Amino acid sequence: MVCSGFEGKVGFLDNILYGFQVTFQPINFLFCGIGVFVGSLVGVLPGIGPAGAMALLLPATYKFSPTSTIILLAGIYYGVQYGGSTTSILINIPGEASSVITCIDGYQMARQGRAGPALGIAAIGSFIAGTIANIGLMFVAVPLSKAALSFGPPEYFALMCTGLLIVTYLAQGSILKAIIMALAGIILGSIGLDAITGLPRFTFGIDELTDGVGIIPLVMGLFGISEILQNLEESLEREVFKAHVKNLWPSLKDWIEAKWAIVRGSLIGFVLGILPGGGAVIATFVSYAVEKKVAKHPERFGKGAIEGVASPESANNAAAGGSLIPLLSLGIPPNPIMAIFFSALIIHGIQPGPLLIKQHPDLFWGLVASLYLGNFLLLILNLPLIGIWVKLLKIPYKLLFPLILLFCLIGAYTLNNLSFDLYVMIFFGVMGWIMRKFGYEAAPLIMAYILGPMLENALRQSLLISGGSFLIFITRPISGIALGFTFLLLLSNIFPYIKKRREEYEKFEE
Amino acid sequence: MKVYDQGGSLFWVLLSIAVFFGSLRLGIGTLRNPGTGFLTFGASGILGILSLVLFVQATLRKKVVKREPLFAGKLWQRILLVLIVLTVYSWIMPTLGYLISTFVLMTLLFWVLERKKIWFVLSSSFLTTLITYLVFSKWLNCQFPNGLFGF
Repeated sequence: MVCSGFEGKVGFLDNILYGFQVTFQPINFLFCGIGVFVGSLVGVLPGIGPAGAMALLLPATYKFSPTSTIILLAGIYYGVQYGGSTTSILINIPGEASSVITCIDGYQMARQGRAGPALGIAAIGSFIAGTIANIGLMFVAVPLSKAALSFGPPEYFALMCTGLLIVTYLAQGSILKAIIMALAGIILGSIGLDAITGLPRFTFGIDELTDGVGIIPLVMGLFGISEILQNLEESLEREVFKAHVKNLWPSLKDWIEAKWAIVRGSLIGFVLGILPGGGAVIATFVSYAVEKKVAKHPERFGKGAIEGVASPESANNAAAGGSLIPLLSLGIPPNPIMAIFFSALIIHGIQPGPLLIKQHPDLFWGLVASLYLGNFLLLILNLPLIGIWVKLLKIPYKLLFPLILLFCLIGAYTLNNLSFDLYVMIFFGVMGWIMRKFGYEAAPLIMAYILGPMLENALRQSLLISGGSFLIFITRPISGIALGFTFLLLLSNIFPYIKKRREEYEKFEE
Repeated sequence: MKVYDQGGSLFWVLLSIAVFFGSLRLGIGTLRNPGTGFLTFGASGILGILSLVLFVQATLRKKVVKREPLFAGKLWQRILLVLIVLTVYSWIMPTLGYLISTFVLMTLLFWVLERKKIWFVLSSSFLTTLITYLVFSKWLNCQFPNGLFGF
């Protein structure tokens, strides 16, 4: 036992060292640096999100190895979480959705002349959280992928159903609308050739649709173009915080106040990152709410409490690390950003799933090591770069918006060199803009679009195995538990609704 | 908000009907051997039912929820103009090539929003087009259309 434990530890250390060997190859090191820099830049600039930036750089990675590509994309993803806080704190405009909550206390700190410590604790908290999430990734992904080797189509079907339901359950608006979006996503994902029979579905005779609707134009349209259209509706003027940013290093008092907030934020972010549909945005809201609840003086929140910055900024970085786990070990992307990672791996000929770590150890361990490196690079780069980001924010949005729009066009076009993808992007941009007005969220649609074809294959294969019996989903323990959980989740949502209706009826009777 | 939800739900009902019949045409197969339209048949069925629930919910709702207006007070003309410019760009880019069409696109976008002096608009557009061409086409090896004039 001792011997095998020792061997296990040696193997683990070997893997990490191997990962660093991969990451420190010049091209991977360069891609890691470019990724975190572009990510920070994208995080600072409102209008172009991580999905847009990844889509933009993806075609440029075709001639490089999958490992370099994933290192670049991961760098962008967690770089965005760092950069997003800068605009939240300095101008009260979140660069990213995951930095919305940071505005509340971050901007108040800046107004009180404490922009420096706010930016400092955001960067340091992000570093600590990123490191904690990375350790979690190493310890959870490997055993989970080993366990997932025993999963069959029924288990995958049940897990994807649970994932989709959690996405809709965690939606910020109406759950009914979120489920409608998920169903629309399943239908959208079915466009193209049927994977089992090879017959075209809903292609309307358009050749470009035989491969389905492209994920990149879809994501760029729903997130990027719709965001720009929404901004265009309003006046494009914005206030820039004019005071100098100084004393980035937080004081001892700040540290004492923020230390547990960082730890709690990291843990919450990591766990919610793993959950399907969780991701960085929800993690920040939950961590802020928890922090406010456990605080001795909750009245300080909203007036410049440093915990209100430390906790969500730690949570969004930890969630970025955590969300890699279901993708790399199960092959199930838990959020739209991971869906782009999924597409990138497929484009490079790698099937995400339980065999990924075994078949491509360079990719997995290289990515793990690059996360350590990237977090460190962000810490040492971002604090000195804050001055540059502030200057960048002074560029009028009127000048930035055409550039962001052009980057979206280039990203969508260069993927397949087709004008059709531009039309798709514009179409979904308009749809996304209208959907925002009508209170529909894009995330469930994207998730269902990605999971839809996998869900369909798993469902059809399961029914073929069982000879048409749905009992296969209940009799197998993992799928039974997952579907049971899904059922309970649905009930927990329906019961309060029935109770509310009954109360309303009783009130009416009285 | 009530009208928005009613309008939105009717859109989904129509979509679900279209997909439902499309799935039937594709063939839903049997439970033992599900066909090409099996999943979309089920998804469109549930979508139709839920859209109707949303419609009924919205119709019966008494509480007035304030929602910002769709177009009133918004700069929707600017959005329309940008969308037209983008669509025309997507259409002419393969014919005119990246350099010319992007230069025209950027000139229009800068002009629509900034309304600065023409030399500023033209020089900004020229520089943007050139830099993006050099970075994406020459450095990152992305393929852009050459167009009629070969550049």
